[in-house]
Amino acid sequence: MMGLSPIEYHPWNGKRTEHGRRFVVIAESILRRSIGSRWFLAVLIIGTFLTFALPIIFTAISPHEGLVAEDMASQLNNGVFFIFLLILAALVCSDLIAEDKRSNSLVLYMSRALDSEGYLSGKFLGAAATLSIFAFVPPLILAVTTIVTQSGSDYLSSVEVLGSTLVAGIWMTLLFIPLGLLISSLTDKKTYAAVATFMIVFVLGIVAGLFAENDVNWMLLGPQLVMTLSIDAIYGVDLPDGMNAWLLLLACIAYTVIPMAVTYILLKRRE
Amino acid sequence: MEEGKSVTLDAKAPNTIEARDVTVAFGEILALDHFTVDVPRGMIGLLGPNGSGKSTFIKTVLGLVKPTGGSVTVNGLDSSVQFMEIRDRVGYMPEHDCLIETMTGIELVSYMGRISGMTKNDSITRGHEVIDFVGLGEHRYRPISTYSTGMKQRVKLAQAIVHDPEIIFLDEPMNGLDPTGRDDMLDLIDRIARSEKSILLSSHILPDIERLCKDVIIISSGRAIVQGDLDDLMSGDRERVRMTIRGPPEKLRSFIDQLSRVCAVLTVAEGFRESIVTVAKVENSSEIFRLAKTEGVQVRSLEPDRISLEDVFLKAVKGVA
Ligand SMILES: Nc1ncnc2c1ncn2[C@@H]1O[C@H](COP(=O)(O)OP(=O)(O)OP(=O)(O)O)[C@@H](O)[C@H]1O
Ligand SMILES: [Mg+2]
Repeated sequence: MMGLSPIEYHPWNGKRTEHGRRFVVIAESILRRSIGSRWFLAVLIIGTFLTFALPIIFTAISPHEGLVAEDMASQLNNGVFFIFLLILAALVCSDLIAEDKRSNSLVLYMSRALDSEGYLSGKFLGAAATLSIFAFVPPLILAVTTIVTQSGSDYLSSVEVLGSTLVAGIWMTLLFIPLGLLISSLTDKKTYAAVATFMIVFVLGIVAGLFAENDVNWMLLGPQLVMTLSIDAIYGVDLPDGMNAWLLLLACIAYTVIPMAVTYILLKRRE
Repeated sequence: MEEGKSVTLDAKAPNTIEARDVTVAFGEILALDHFTVDVPRGMIGLLGPNGSGKSTFIKTVLGLVKPTGGSVTVNGLDSSVQFMEIRDRVGYMPEHDCLIETMTGIELVSYMGRISGMTKNDSITRGHEVIDFVGLGEHRYRPISTYSTGMKQRVKLAQAIVHDPEIIFLDEPMNGLDPTGRDDMLDLIDRIARSEKSILLSSHILPDIERLCKDVIIISSGRAIVQGDLDDLMSGDRERVRMTIRGPPEKLRSFIDQLSRVCAVLTVAEGFRESIVTVAKVENSSEIFRLAKTEGVQVRSLEPDRISLEDVFLKAVKGVA
């Protein structure tokens, strides 16, 4: 049994941080726990190896004129990258809210000077920081390596493509977090949330493929195509014939803003 | 600093919490029904049967539950508007499980310290300090999922005090503890209270409240029905006197007979050659001694009658039901 040692209670006289910055603590804790997780590390390493490691080495040693938008876009638009991004997003997001539901720990956060906006921002930022290790950093390294080793002298156009890569990296990092958070807030089981995130994206993709035979715009139902097409748009690559750019924008919003808003409303109701 | 000033000013106010006509409804159920109370500084007991609204009151003060009517202030701050300022100054130990089970004890406590605004370094030092204080020992390095109920209660207490709040809400902290664990928990609470903290301790266990609290608030069906100094409440009717008398049985009986002519005899507990009598409306206790002398009985003790907290509680709760 644990005995009590005769320690008196001591006050603490330190200084408190500002209210508005405390959500960063949540994000930091998520990042630290993700990196400490064996599953996450395994998927991260395999995924990075399969998608970016070889292209980076290959670019460094083979001659090239400069960084080309089409090359970068097709590099990011490959199916393996998408699958690994999805697995990582499902792994990272699945337990972010589900755990707090399961253990009732939301009350520990909410009884402190943190509002639901701060709580959700912390969770979102934590997921984003974690996923950026896969979706933001490697493409950036690839782009920079390409520029550093380029033989041509048109650095201006290369840097322009580098800028697009920054935007694309941020976009891919954030794309699946709202959906992951929403599903995590609907269940209190981590595995359910992870599998459900994966399955929903998968099924939507198949449905999109079926309908796209009639009208190419149906492709926008599938998250994978939303991702690849939006990356094309970011790099200035032409969209398929008959594809409505506004519909693409709408699809991007539907996959991010709507799940985030629903998550927020659900959280407010539980509070 | 502006903030520091207002804290010292508030600390002089006589009440920590003032609730006026607070009404909280969950669908059809009125959990708090025009609840009005002044919670003084110090160690205060919140007493009431299951479902009376104790937890709801605490959550309302923290701003976790939104009242449909009435107002609550904490140290002069309005809980519906300035809840962020309030929450930095209060600590809350919830009644049910709420710990993040995948974290270790020390991780959770310092994490919560940081969310309450401590820097990373401060939170680690302070986390170890409060874990030492609650006596969790080396268990602090194990995941909380492996803890016993007693250890979890200690971690719950530790996270409530890690940021050194001025007011601490403890919702049934003795829940699920064995006798030693209860003793330890009461002891810890007592030590916290001694460092000039205000504590609101909710419980339905009377002896715990009796042991620690100076003041009690008794809640029943969402209303505060009795509030006051524990000693005053338990001293009951000031004119009631309890005495132990000794002597041969027939003399005792005749003494009690005589006694009932000068005052109201309420109860008589007869033992072997000894009786315990409570009487009311005693004008002058020397009359009792004079009677005893003439009747030939010995008055072993004579003291004001204390009613138990249980009597106060039952009387109050029944009065409402
Ligand atoms: N979230 C909720 N939804 C619906 N009803 C609730 C909710 N919270 C509390 N109640 C109801 O409000 C009333 C007061 O509950 P509360 O938990 O405050 O009681 P309590 O005094 O803390 O009881 P206990 O000693 O059992 O902890 C009860 O009738 C309870 O059923
Ligand atoms: Mg309760």
